[in-house]
Amino acid sequence: MNSTGKKVVGTAMVGFLAVGMAACGSKNDNDNAAPSSSAASTASASASAPASSDSGSKEKVTITFQNIYPDPTDPKYNMLHKIVKQYETDHPNVHIELDSLNTDQQKQKLKTQAASNEVPDITIVNPSAQMKPYVDAGLFAPLNEMIEQNGLKDTFQSGILDYYTFDGNVYALPDGNNIALLYYNKALFKQAGIDAPPTTFEDLVADVKKLKEKGIQPMAIGEKDTWTGSFLFMNVLLRTNGGPGFLQDIVDGKKTFEDPAFTGAVDAFEQLVQAGAFQEGATSFDYNAGENLFKTGKAAMYFMGSWATGGIEVSDANKDGNVGVFKFPTVGGKGDPNQFMLAPGSAFAVSKNSKHLPETLDFLNYFMLNYPKEAFAVKGAVGVAQKVDGDFKAAGYSDMAMEVLAMFKDVQGGDISFDNTMNPATSQAHLSSIQNLFVAKKDAAAVAKEHQQAYEDNKE
Amino acid sequence: MSQSASIAVREPAVQPRRRGFSLKKTIVFGFFGILLVTQLYPLLWLLIYSLKTNEEILSGSFFALPASVQWSNYSNALAGGRYWHYLLNSVIVTSATMVCVILLASLAAFAITRFRWKYGQIVMLIFLMGMMIPLQSTLLPLMLIFKHMHILNTRWAMILPYIAFQIPIAVFIMSGFLRTIPHEIEESAIMDGANVIRIFRSIILPVSVPPIMTVCILTFINVWNEYILAATFISKEALKTLPFGVYSFVSQYSVNYGAIGAFLVLGALPVILVYFLLAEKITKGMVAGAVKG
Amino acid sequence: MNVLKVSRWTIAAFVLPCLLLYVGLVFAPIIVSFYNATLNWNGIGVAKHVGLGNFHRMFTNDSVFWPSVRRTFMLAGFSMLVQLPIALFVAILISRYVRKANFLVSSYFMPVILSVAVIGQLWKTIYNPASQGGMINQILIKLGLDSWTHAWLSEPKVAIYAIIFIGLWQYLGYHILIQFTGIQNIPADIYEAAKIDGAEGLTADRYITLPMIVPIFKISVVLSFIGSLQSFDLIMVTTAGGPAHATDVLASHMYNISILSQKYGYGSAIACFLVVVCLVATVIINFLFNRLDRRYN
Repeated sequence: MNSTGKKVVGTAMVGFLAVGMAACGSKNDNDNAAPSSSAASTASASASAPASSDSGSKEKVTITFQNIYPDPTDPKYNMLHKIVKQYETDHPNVHIELDSLNTDQQKQKLKTQAASNEVPDITIVNPSAQMKPYVDAGLFAPLNEMIEQNGLKDTFQSGILDYYTFDGNVYALPDGNNIALLYYNKALFKQAGIDAPPTTFEDLVADVKKLKEKGIQPMAIGEKDTWTGSFLFMNVLLRTNGGPGFLQDIVDGKKTFEDPAFTGAVDAFEQLVQAGAFQEGATSFDYNAGENLFKTGKAAMYFMGSWATGGIEVSDANKDGNVGVFKFPTVGGKGDPNQFMLAPGSAFAVSKNSKHLPETLDFLNYFMLNYPKEAFAVKGAVGVAQKVDGDFKAAGYSDMAMEVLAMFKDVQGGDISFDNTMNPATSQAHLSSIQNLFVAKKDAAAVAKEHQQAYEDNKE
Repeated sequence: MSQSASIAVREPAVQPRRRGFSLKKTIVFGFFGILLVTQLYPLLWLLIYSLKTNEEILSGSFFALPASVQWSNYSNALAGGRYWHYLLNSVIVTSATMVCVILLASLAAFAITRFRWKYGQIVMLIFLMGMMIPLQSTLLPLMLIFKHMHILNTRWAMILPYIAFQIPIAVFIMSGFLRTIPHEIEESAIMDGANVIRIFRSIILPVSVPPIMTVCILTFINVWNEYILAATFISKEALKTLPFGVYSFVSQYSVNYGAIGAFLVLGALPVILVYFLLAEKITKGMVAGAVKG
Repeated sequence: MNVLKVSRWTIAAFVLPCLLLYVGLVFAPIIVSFYNATLNWNGIGVAKHVGLGNFHRMFTNDSVFWPSVRRTFMLAGFSMLVQLPIALFVAILISRYVRKANFLVSSYFMPVILSVAVIGQLWKTIYNPASQGGMINQILIKLGLDSWTHAWLSEPKVAIYAIIFIGLWQYLGYHILIQFTGIQNIPADIYEAAKIDGAEGLTADRYITLPMIVPIFKISVVLSFIGSLQSFDLIMVTTAGGPAHATDVLASHMYNISILSQKYGYGSAIACFLVVVCLVATVIINFLFNRLDRRYN
């Protein structure tokens, strides 16, 4: 097929092949679908091969590592490449092929690959509900035995692996564990005559109005990426519900979206919007454009996951330690500020059908063992899912970073995001419904109904 | 776009048919000028963009210049030599696609419009049916096909579908043109004893330069920036194309816009160069076609 | 009537390579899509046959679907009724007033070559609210027209028009180029002959340029229709279909359903609808142009 001289003939042959293959392909994709659920239960057997690294002159092995760190100017990229290079030096027969993609594209690619049973050796998935379809289809290898090796399991913070565990099997190892909080610009607060960050939602709304009067943009948000608004809304709901578990109660049939906790959250959220908290045209601001408003000192507050700390700490807004953080306040006297929106990070999973399963497991074990140390070194250890040894202060982490780290110690449970709890179709309906609140005033009951309808339509 | 009218407009450097002042001509050229500014400004804007910091870019002002010129965007874009091998891959994939599309489509269009056979119209209809199918909607079936052909992660996994998806529109354009050529041409050629292949090669192809150019341009713009299909079927760094470079500056929670701008400039540069070089050829080819037609 | 009588093998050699590649990689996948459209399938796990359930839901119980269809046709309509006539007008003007048009036509074409990512960013700086430095709004305020300002890309009623305008602008040069090449292809002696008969300027355009350009204009129409149906990138870059689906078109709706909502079967049903629309449109366009052709010749 590679003779360039006879291109026509060559292409014609490929054409013939393609027709034949198309037929096979469609047949095969049915076969895939049927037995997959049973495959999950037998999956653990294949992963039992020892993953010890008795590297000698063995056959050449290529492991494809699909990841979402493509940016050479991002510290995580360098970290990843450093660990990979070290491993390749130690294991000359192993080559790690890094398929680095932007996040959206990686999600789409993995979906297409999963549908045709071509999952790369290592890939990246999101926790809980988002990774469940892959686990159900039996595509991932259980990592239970692998994490016991070299004490990897004990490096993880307690409880974090639960988000990646199904039927007692761990299927993925997270790169992060974050919480939601509010960043604020101290100088702008002072300008508006606000002495201390608000501790109740009512104060927060009042502060928004004060800032607004002084011509200061109270809050920034990148609502084009709909999850941002949902994340904030869910934190309100965590308060109005008086604690975590609202969505779980829905799933368990104990509550509906018409529950007062939910409508109360919608009302509170709309109060914030109507007070003019968010910038004009928020729904066409993507995540970065929204965050940039805060980073450049053009907005007084910013609600986001603690992963934003690294970027904010080196921004203009944080000159002379000008940025502080505070916990999401109580709403209508309800809720506990020490309960947070939790954001267990994207996680590394291993393909059950990997041609080099033992080597892949061995590499991932090595990778995760070195992850916290390297992350600490590039000042990226705020919000890592593993325990980090080291003196943050001495290593030059900023005051704000130290405040955030202190906040982690106060965490007493919380909820994970909507799309990590509900199925994708219901989540999309929710995201769009919340986005709508930014451009239209809606009755809380109608919003609740919209949610309930979407949930029932898409229930499995 | 009336807002750009405030910018002083100069007559473009072209020769009008007759010299001398006329109000009508001034208005027409004023109009050309305004349009020129609105259509060329993005290039200038991208150039400025590529020299700004992230904060300046995201602050979103239309005219502002960078406070200090960020050459680092370019060094980031060029870092590790990725640009060059992505560029090479893009050139290989795009040119292979263009050559194959033109060859295959002109052969088929020739057969449909000039051969005497029963199924010509049906074949044409089949081609027309696929003209508007979006490439993205076939990703999954293509994945299965390529998996069984064992060409995932090879250049074939890009080139073959690119060709296949350009074929309908190319056949459409080529056959539309070939229909306008009078049949006397090949009648006299047959008299001279020419066979089919010679008629195709020495009579049809030379006069078909205009539609071929149109197909070339179409194919080029559709393939050069294509990312979704490439990203799905290609995992090997060694085979990746320019759009991978652009999107490589997009991380989960941060985007390096300056480097993207620089990479886009570097990616567009060869295109613009080739295009302006080709533009000369396009018009010449067209004139030749017009004379013979 | 075609004159070349050739053997079956010759026909095969000319047509088959092209046809097979196309059928294998474009046609077959579409057939598969039609099959997938009858499944309730998340693309990964177990698929369930639902017959025509997806289509039923699409037509009767999807609040986003019909508005998306409407916006898709709006896109196509604006492109065909506004953009193409302007492009034709400009092309005629250029061919009449400019002798060496290379530079001009090539320059008009430039926005097509640029990546949509850039185009989207550029237009955001134009459309942003005044407080964020948006150009249009700042100009409006300077002109004292404060009441005319809008958050162009985030007001549900305005946003889709703002996006359509970007598309019209971006692809204007594309159609100018195509139609200009068409006009260049009209033999000069026809105009010369017409001149002797006293037809010049507008009259010549009316009786020579317009009829002669019909086949090329058809290419423009088809391309603009394809472009409108497949418009996806621009929507994703500017609004991602928001706020609350106010700017969703068929292609973005399909993406939302099959990738984000993970309803692969349902997404395939939308894809099939798209294919059928394309087919019908192709037939109609061909029919109209054949009649037009016959009227002129």
